Parts: sequence; C-alpha cells; structure tokens
Amino acid sequence: MKKIFTFVIAVLMLVSLAACGSSGSKDVYSIGISQYGEHPSLDNCREGFLLGLEEAGLKEGEDFTVDYQNAGFDDNIAIQIGQNFSANNVDLMVGIATPSATACFAAAEDKNIPVVFNAITDPVEAKLDSGNVTGVSDKLPVEAQLDLIRTLQPEAKTIGIIYTTSEPNSVSAIREYKEKAPDYGFEIVEIGVTAQSEVTQAADTLISKKVDCISNLTDNNVVGVLASILDKTNEAGIPVYGSEIEQVKIGCVASAGIDYIELGKQAGRLAAKVLKGEATCEELPYETVTEYGIYINSEALAAMSIELPADIADKAIEANAE
Amino acid sequence: MNVFLELAESTITQGFIYALLTYGIYITYKLLDFPDLSVDGSFPLGAAVTAALLIRGVNPFLTLVIAMGAGALAGLATGLIHVKLKVRDLLAGIITMTALFSINLQIAGSNLNIGRDVDTIFVAAPVGSLLGGLSLIHRKFIVSLVLVLLFKLILDLYFKTKNGMLLRATGDNATLVTTLAQDKGKMKILGLVIANALVALAGSVVCHEQRSFSSTMGTGQMVFGLAAVIIGTTIFKKFPGVKGTTAVLVGSVVYKCCIQLAISLGLPANLLKLITAVLFLVILVIGNVGEGKVKRNA
Repeated sequence: MKKIFTFVIAVLMLVSLAACGSSGSKDVYSIGISQYGEHPSLDNCREGFLLGLEEAGLKEGEDFTVDYQNAGFDDNIAIQIGQNFSANNVDLMVGIATPSATACFAAAEDKNIPVVFNAITDPVEAKLDSGNVTGVSDKLPVEAQLDLIRTLQPEAKTIGIIYTTSEPNSVSAIREYKEKAPDYGFEIVEIGVTAQSEVTQAADTLISKKVDCISNLTDNNVVGVLASILDKTNEAGIPVYGSEIEQVKIGCVASAGIDYIELGKQAGRLAAKVLKGEATCEELPYETVTEYGIYINSEALAAMSIELPADIADKAIEANAE
Repeated sequence: MNVFLELAESTITQGFIYALLTYGIYITYKLLDFPDLSVDGSFPLGAAVTAALLIRGVNPFLTLVIAMGAGALAGLATGLIHVKLKVRDLLAGIITMTALFSINLQIAGSNLNIGRDVDTIFVAAPVGSLLGGLSLIHRKFIVSLVLVLLFKLILDLYFKTKNGMLLRATGDNATLVTTLAQDKGKMKILGLVIANALVALAGSVVCHEQRSFSSTMGTGQMVFGLAAVIIGTTIFKKFPGVKGTTAVLVGSVVYKCCIQLAISLGLPANLLKLITAVLFLVILVIGNVGEGKVKRNA
C-alpha cells in the first residue's frame, strides 16, 4: 500500500514541478497550442499562426511563450492537453483541428480563457460560433475548384470524389459539391469509405467507372494514401485535383485551394488582437478563407497533356518550385 | 487555485470517469476471461445516444440511464453472437464494434457538439442547486466521484450475491458453473450486458463533460481499459483484501496521471506515447518485483 501512495505522490509532485516550470512572468503572454496531430496542413497552420503573431508585432520569447502539444490523433489526449492549459492559466488557447479545439473550449469553459481555433470547416456545427472563442474556418472554395476544372478540362462531364462518411468536413463538402456541380455542367460520382484501408479500392472503382477526373477534399483518410491513388490514376490517365498546396506537391495536377500558412496567419492576427486587448474573442466573429490560391504541378499537367490557359498560368503558383 | 492542485483535480476527474469503463473491462477480461472488443463501439454508442438526446432537450440524468440501456443491448448482441451463433469471442466483439460504428453515426447523424446553452449533468438541477456555488472543475470532480463510488458499491454488492459469484466463477472455472446446473453461456451474456452498459455510461459522461460526440472517440478505449485493469491489479497484487473494483479504479487514475505527467513534462509532443509506454512498464515492473515468473494476465 505504502509503495503505491509513494508512487502516486511522486507522479503528482513531478507534475507540479513541470507545471511550475512552464508558467512565465505575467508581462509575457502564455499561449497553449493544442494540435490534433502531426500532419503537413496542420503543421502549416501552426507555423502560420506564429508568423501572424509576429506580423502583428509580437515576438516569441519576448512578448509571448508557446506551449505546443499534439495529441497524436487521440481525442482523449486532446482532452487532457486542454485541461493542462487551463490549470496552467494560459492567456490564450489555440486549438488546431476540431477535436483539439472542442477540447480546449470545454476546458476553458469555467475560466473563460479565450480560444482561437483553426482548420475547422464548420464552426457553427462544432458550436464554436459563440462564447469566448473565435478562429478561422478552412471551408473549401468549392466553386473556385469547379471553375478551375471546367477551364482545364472543357470536355469533362464527371468528377469522382472519395470521402470518409464519418468526417463531418467531408460530408459537408460533398453536399456543396453536389449542389454546385450542375452549375458548371458536372456530375459528381462519390464513393464513401469508412477507413483508410478502403480508399485505394474506391479509387479502383472510380477508375473503372471512367470518371473524367478526380477531385480531393481535405479528407485525412484519402490524403493519407494520396500517393498510391496517384499511381493508379496516372496509369489510367485520369487527372486528380487537390484541395490544397501540399496535395499538388505530391502530384495532383492543380488545385484552387487553401494555403494553410495563410490560414494560420489569419488566426495569428486574430489572436494578437485578443492578447493586446484590442478586442475579445466574443467581439470577433470567426473568419473564412478570403484568399485562396491556384496551385499547379506543371509536370503532372504535362503528363495528362492538359494545356494551361494563359490567364490561369499568370496567377497560378507552381507547387513544385523550390 | 494552485496550478498543481487544479491539474491533479482535473486529471483525477478523468481517471474517475474512465474508471466506469474499466469496471466493465474488469468484468469481461478479468472475471469472464473474454477479450471484449465491442468496447470500442459501445463507448461512443453511449456518447452518441447522450448527444442525440441532449440536443432534443431530454433530462441530462435520464440520458445516463438510456445510454446504459443502449450499451447493454450492444453487450447482448456480442453475447448472443458468441454464445448462440458460436462465433469466437474476439470476432464476436469485432462484429459488434464494426456494426456500432455505423449505428452510432445513424443515431447522432454525424459528429455532434452540444452548445453551452444545453444543461449537462454538471450544471442541471439537482447538481446545479446543490453545488451551484462551486466552480465547474469542482463540480465535475464531485459528480464523477459520486458516480464512480455508486457503481463500485453496486458492483461490490452484486459480486457477493449468488448470481455474482456464478459470474466470477464463469471465467475461472466454467466446469464448476456447469456442475452447479447453471448455463455458463447465460452468465457470459449477462457479464457482457453489464460490462457494456458500464462502458456506454462512461461514454455518456465523457459526452456530458466534453459537450461532444465524435465517431472516432472509441478508438483505443479497449487498450486503455486493459492497461488500466492490468496496472490496477498489478499494483494491488500483494493485497488480496483490496477489491478488484478498487484496484481498477486506481489503475484508471494512475493511467490518466501518467498521460498528464508526460504532457506536463513538456517533452516533444511526438514522444508522448513512448513516455507513456515507459511509465507503464515501470509500474508493471515495480509490481512484479519479487515475483518468480510473469503471470499470464499480468
């Protein structure tokens, strides 16, 4: 019995030591960043966030300190990270991706610590649209993407999309695609999957249905195996459009999509206003992406023998450029 | 409030809430010797039912009961598949878990979040009127403590009844159950029903606490539960007087403390799971010191 109590007390003492170490002096703002997991887009959100704070005149180390934690895609760990930030009385919590943002918001409820979220498609659905919370939504520019596909493939009729049925972001994006596609003369062929292991099979199905192209969402299961989808589609000669720059880097032909660094900067600017006391999260409505870019992969375009019209070539950004 | 005390309080609260789940896994894994994988489905089932009911304005305390009922049905399904259809234990659990993934999404529609205008068990009367003066973190601590002790008491009393004795014998000595002219299949089903009701209750409380249901929240709950049960029983191995429910309750709290310790140490985020694994190993080794050989269930 004694041994157990010794152990529990030792654990608790270590926690307290660690907790003391991380709290700085009060002139320096402490920011807790809770990220759902390591993922290029989410990492870009975080990087952009820090850049956004810097642009607003706040320097890391001098004006603010950052406690960065990631949950390794585990909801339960995200909960405990939020509680850790709350107990340490951080001045601001940042939640990147829905599970982390909701966990931060739940942990902040009692103390009313401001929460800035990022990379959430539908803040209204996630109930992050009221209270001491604000942030930036990464809702896809669906119409811009449809317009881009129409311009690059004037003859195309069908767009194949693979999505995870349990990802709310994907479900709402599919809804919008189906709603808007007829306006651009497209028909959507969608295949829902429940796990990453089903994605490549779904790609085979789309290829056998002879879709004219495939368009991606920000669906984690699909993006995770994008390289193997591209192997199949390249062989079949079907162009794949990405939803953000990272996917175009991997080999998608083009994307009218989100730059997550910019997204992060937008959130960073919101956070700077809150920290400086210029506005509270309650006063700041959440923002959507205003700036999206056209990203292209010239190599992939050439392989599909797609000609890039001059007006698009002018504004497009080469994703492969180093 | 002192940072350390507050962190300890919220971490122990998590340990209490998840202890409800470890009670369930204690019954299936330790008592019935049944590796029940339906847990990964019945945990979010409890949350899905709770979220769907809460947004429709159902009394928050009633949602706990209904969630338990739903969990019991899930356990019943696993039990019937295993006992009546003669499907292997692991597979029976996998089938239920897989089916529940879709069922949970059907119940909740999609991932659901509950706005702050909806009262949870930590806010609604009678908790609100009794503990209204306390901060939310204290209320969560007290409510989860009451729940975890209440169900510990009920289980401890149940294990002393004739039926409870039979349940405990089913895993250890199934032949004995048969010689007593009892149906061991029925006992297995009963155990699974009770266990999954408790697991769904844990899911329900987590839904109240986090104000959200996510279809993937069940992933890894079975692994967590097993770890907590084994940590708890290992710690108390040399104290036969300590009840199993107490042991797994402590196991759950220790597990959550380990995670919080790893987070608080501010180690590189990607090392979190590695640190957690090392902490478990240390606990298990401490528990095994002086033992001649490693036991099968340890």
